[in-house]
Amino acid sequence: MDLLIKNLPFILQGIAMTLSLALATLFFSTLIAFVLGTLATLRFAWLRIAVKVYVELFRDIPLIVNIFFVFFVAPLFGLELSPFAAVTVGLSLWGSANGTEIVRAGFNAVPRHQWQSAAALGLKGWEVYLFIAGPQALRSILPPFVGLLTLLVQATSLGALVGVTEFFKVGQIIVERTTMMEGWNPAFTVYGAVLLIYFVICSTLSWFGRWLERRLKADRSRVAPGTPVVEQPVTQLP
Amino acid sequence: MEFDLAYLAAQRPALMRGLWLTIQVSALSIGLSIAVGLCGAAIRVLQVPVLDKIVVAYVEFIRNTPLLAQLFFIFYGLPGLGLKLSLFWSGVLSLTLWAGAYQIENIRGGLETVGKGLREAAFSLGLSPWRFFRLIAAPMAVRVGLPSMLNTSISLLKNSSYLQAIGLAELTFVAIDRISMDFRTVEMFAAICVIYLALVLTLSFFASRLEYRLNTPFRT
Repeated sequence: MDLLIKNLPFILQGIAMTLSLALATLFFSTLIAFVLGTLATLRFAWLRIAVKVYVELFRDIPLIVNIFFVFFVAPLFGLELSPFAAVTVGLSLWGSANGTEIVRAGFNAVPRHQWQSAAALGLKGWEVYLFIAGPQALRSILPPFVGLLTLLVQATSLGALVGVTEFFKVGQIIVERTTMMEGWNPAFTVYGAVLLIYFVICSTLSWFGRWLERRLKADRSRVAPGTPVVEQPVTQLP
Repeated sequence: MEFDLAYLAAQRPALMRGLWLTIQVSALSIGLSIAVGLCGAAIRVLQVPVLDKIVVAYVEFIRNTPLLAQLFFIFYGLPGLGLKLSLFWSGVLSLTLWAGAYQIENIRGGLETVGKGLREAAFSLGLSPWRFFRLIAAPMAVRVGLPSMLNTSISLLKNSSYLQAIGLAELTFVAIDRISMDFRTVEMFAAICVIYLALVLTLSFFASRLEYRLNTPFRT
């Protein structure tokens, strides 16, 4: 316990790093996911296939390999990425692949007649997406994105492997330092505390996701009778 | 920088050893995690007092903490309690505990589709609980729960790469190790990406085949 209090500033720094990593990744994942997810709903088969290949590729390769890949291969092409940037890119590849599926499923969950009546009213394609389908799709898109953020917070721990001083790395450093300087191994306590703190952060987020889902669902049942069952995208765990 | 196939051919034995270890760890953990899932789901569905609260807490805890931290807690932390496990078994234990939590939910989701009315109907027809489970509940539960169970198993296979962090010489470890010695980065990454993709796609192919076969009675 003394150990944790003594290292409190260091620990808080690590948590801040973890959260900024997660938010940066979420930002890029969301950006790519909305572009690709929308493209996948257009009426071009080759576009759908291209998006599908992207999604499957980055979901099926282990996340660690993704991160190492960016970290080791980018320099070969003259791209000197900092560890933080490398992890952000690596995680974003995975996050955007899962996000794309979520967005695509969200658009597909918007009832057909909504698209048809929008077209019948003479709205242009992009207007339908922006004003009709988009807001409705957002309802089924938001809760899984909170879920994705939870998984991203957990996945940022992989940053420790390429040397980002995020929360998990902080734990590792404290263990090493104490073993070396004070001659006893606090691994059990420190890693236990690390787990607990991750648990608090992530379960708060999951709770928020579930709350959001309940709220948006309640809303939905009022809006459209006979709304089709929402196709739930399966997030491939990191 | 050209792609050196001869180098890859020379590294084949090392990669194969890593692959074999990956397969061993994954297969063992998948089996054990399904066992954990079955026990946990049974406890949840039968609403065993006290134990079911523990199962809920276990599932929530595992799902909201990173696998890497769990792994380090098991490998570096548990010896503090006097429980020293080898690299291999630490890996198996952490993957099993991790996937077990997800399998509990998957199997429970399946079992829960078997309605109460169905059970009452079966009992009133004179079926014993065991026959009810074997003939009615299990087939229905498997059909619903299997896709997500296989999905979790595929995730487990990918996540066996976490074990390189504690130094188990599985596929990713071998590749990173080689890269730090020979600097043939592109070749190595190409190799392991292809291998992982092959593993995952093979598993998902069999998964979809199995799903198709289980759905036979419902196809028109």
